[in-house]
Amino acid sequence: MKHRAILIAFVVLISFSCGKKDNVVEVQFWNFGGTVNFMKWVRQRIETFNQTHPGIRVVQSDKSWNMIREILYANFSAGVGPDVMTVHANYAAEFGGAGFFYPLNKFPDFEEVKRKYEPNLFESGRYKDDYYGLPSAAIAFVLVCNKALFDREGIRPPKTWSEFREAAKRLTKDTNGDGTIDQYGLVVMGGDKGGFAYRLIPFFLKAGVNFMSDDMTKITFNTPRGVAALKLFADMYQTDHSITPGFLAYTLSEINDLFSGNRVAMSIEGPWFRAMVQEKSPGNDFYTVPVPVPDDMIAQYDTAPTLQDMVMYPISAQSKHLEETWEFLKYIRNEESDMAYVRANLGAIATTNFALNSPEAEQYPDMQVYRHELQHARPWPAHPAIIPIVNNVLAPYGQKAIAGEITPQEALDLAAKEAQEIVEGKK
Amino acid sequence: MRKSTPYLLLLPALLFTFFVLVYPLAQNLVNSFRQVSLIRGSGGWVGVQNYAKIFGDSLFWLSFRNTLIYAIAGTMLSVLTGLGFALLLHEKIGRITSLMGFLYTIPWVISPVVAGFAWKWLLNDNYGIINYWLVQTGIVNEGITWLGDVHTALIGVIVARVWQFYPFAMVMLMAGLQTIPQEQYEAASVDGATPLQRFIHITLPNLRSVMSVLLVLGVIWSFNDFNMVFVMTRGGPINASMVLPVLVREFSFVHFDLGRGSALSVMVFVLLASMSFFYLKVLAKREAQ
Repeated sequence: MKHRAILIAFVVLISFSCGKKDNVVEVQFWNFGGTVNFMKWVRQRIETFNQTHPGIRVVQSDKSWNMIREILYANFSAGVGPDVMTVHANYAAEFGGAGFFYPLNKFPDFEEVKRKYEPNLFESGRYKDDYYGLPSAAIAFVLVCNKALFDREGIRPPKTWSEFREAAKRLTKDTNGDGTIDQYGLVVMGGDKGGFAYRLIPFFLKAGVNFMSDDMTKITFNTPRGVAALKLFADMYQTDHSITPGFLAYTLSEINDLFSGNRVAMSIEGPWFRAMVQEKSPGNDFYTVPVPVPDDMIAQYDTAPTLQDMVMYPISAQSKHLEETWEFLKYIRNEESDMAYVRANLGAIATTNFALNSPEAEQYPDMQVYRHELQHARPWPAHPAIIPIVNNVLAPYGQKAIAGEITPQEALDLAAKEAQEIVEGKK
Repeated sequence: MRKSTPYLLLLPALLFTFFVLVYPLAQNLVNSFRQVSLIRGSGGWVGVQNYAKIFGDSLFWLSFRNTLIYAIAGTMLSVLTGLGFALLLHEKIGRITSLMGFLYTIPWVISPVVAGFAWKWLLNDNYGIINYWLVQTGIVNEGITWLGDVHTALIGVIVARVWQFYPFAMVMLMAGLQTIPQEQYEAASVDGATPLQRFIHITLPNLRSVMSVLLVLGVIWSFNDFNMVFVMTRGGPINASMVLPVLVREFSFVHFDLGRGSALSVMVFVLLASMSFFYLKVLAKREAQ
């Protein structure tokens, strides 16, 4: 009898604990990456949202930026993904096209929300006729030059490829006289295929190379200009030895260590870099300048495009709480939130007109350069296969060419052939 | 007791085994004959096409070669290192022997992921302590880019693997050393055998069966080792340290081609099952002795 009573009590307890605790809707938010300050800020903002929206509770979970695609695909395929997340804007074509993201333009107040954002940036979250994300952080790839090392050598940040190569050569040296090189001109992220491609392609774009044809049916990056861009890196690595020898294993953390420790003079980075360097080595300053152009294109130095990327917040098409998630999204990306991007160095560039045109934005470090570069920058083509092409085709062949396993011409021809097969659905 | 009772009692264990072992294996086998993509879903039966694709892929052969080197070199070096430490500890040099025995086994109890990260930093070309020592002692003039060079990346992960596996070999070999009859050494000493002769003609033959078990087991475990390589190099640079378990992940979760990933894992499974069969044979032979 006693046992039965305990069993009944246990079952009742379990039933209550499994049921809905209250009338609160839980929204799962997966935050991929970001600087330490940014993640702190997001957490605080969510706390405020939860306090001011009693019917909704946002639960944040921080995930690795490096494994974003596999995490999302695995979870979406199993139907257990988050309601909202942070992703690259170029995921709109792949994930939106595959039906994993919910088209935000289906919400009745979408147009009103859209008007608040800088139009160019907002467009990079579009695939075909649908918009799949609210812009979060705008990114333009630029060249960062270690101020201490450049000033010591008495040189200015480079504008052309020749100046770039020469600066890297001059800044590669044995600083303590022990007979070994301990300072390098350039570091490139090679330990992450996507990260590598994002740092290589700005040189292609600056040289006027298009990744794909406008109708996105032809791969077009293997032009003589493209080969010249890749050859520039190959020569710097193989002939000048001005790129860090171990770059093929480096991720952002090693790059930050080397840069902050004054062991490298240049890197191709974005708005996150200043915040990262300041976290690691307060007071370490650098010049932020546009990526150099080919010598014969110096006239286009101010207008040649770099690579534009953007972090955006899409909503999962599998979400059972679309309205509540949209409510949260409008809050986390409203103008007040965006002002935090210009008031503190979160490692992200604001995306709303309100924040970008505010007086505070003028004070934001490097804002002028980023704003200028974003005016001309180009995003990756909005093709559903763009990420596999970039990560699995362009990056490995590019690395082989720089390491000297094949020539830049062979690398780009082979990469273009494989990429074309992917575009045509043969692979 | 009813006749069915034992079967009913076994049922939970059988169901558990079915759902966590048999079902995933069977599903994996089925997937290997289908076109399954995480992006596009299942595209139906493709026969042995996934297997054919793998055999025609140069990356598979490179990974297979790397896996063989990683497994065989890693295991042999671990066993040799383990043997060295086992012999040292077997000599029982004072009180520190048990302390040293404890210290030497630490790598075995450390998680491979933690060990991988630790070795990644130890082998870092700019700040790693290994390069620092090598340069300080004059062995090399400048730091080696262990994990960033296509020629040294696999060596780097093998070193880490040896560090992690040698304690197991050491413990097994110490147990083996204790079973060697002391009389054999005494008789050899009377006959004027040198320490080296005693080692070659008494110690090694007596440890042969332990060593064969260790070698087979070490190769099987290394063949299946994903963590160390993934954490340290992810198979890079430029696939120079790509091994089969990491390639399975690459096919499945980078290219999102689960069909090809499943086919490769079936191939690895068959290889490992054959090795396990061989291991059991060795074990049976050892027990018979």
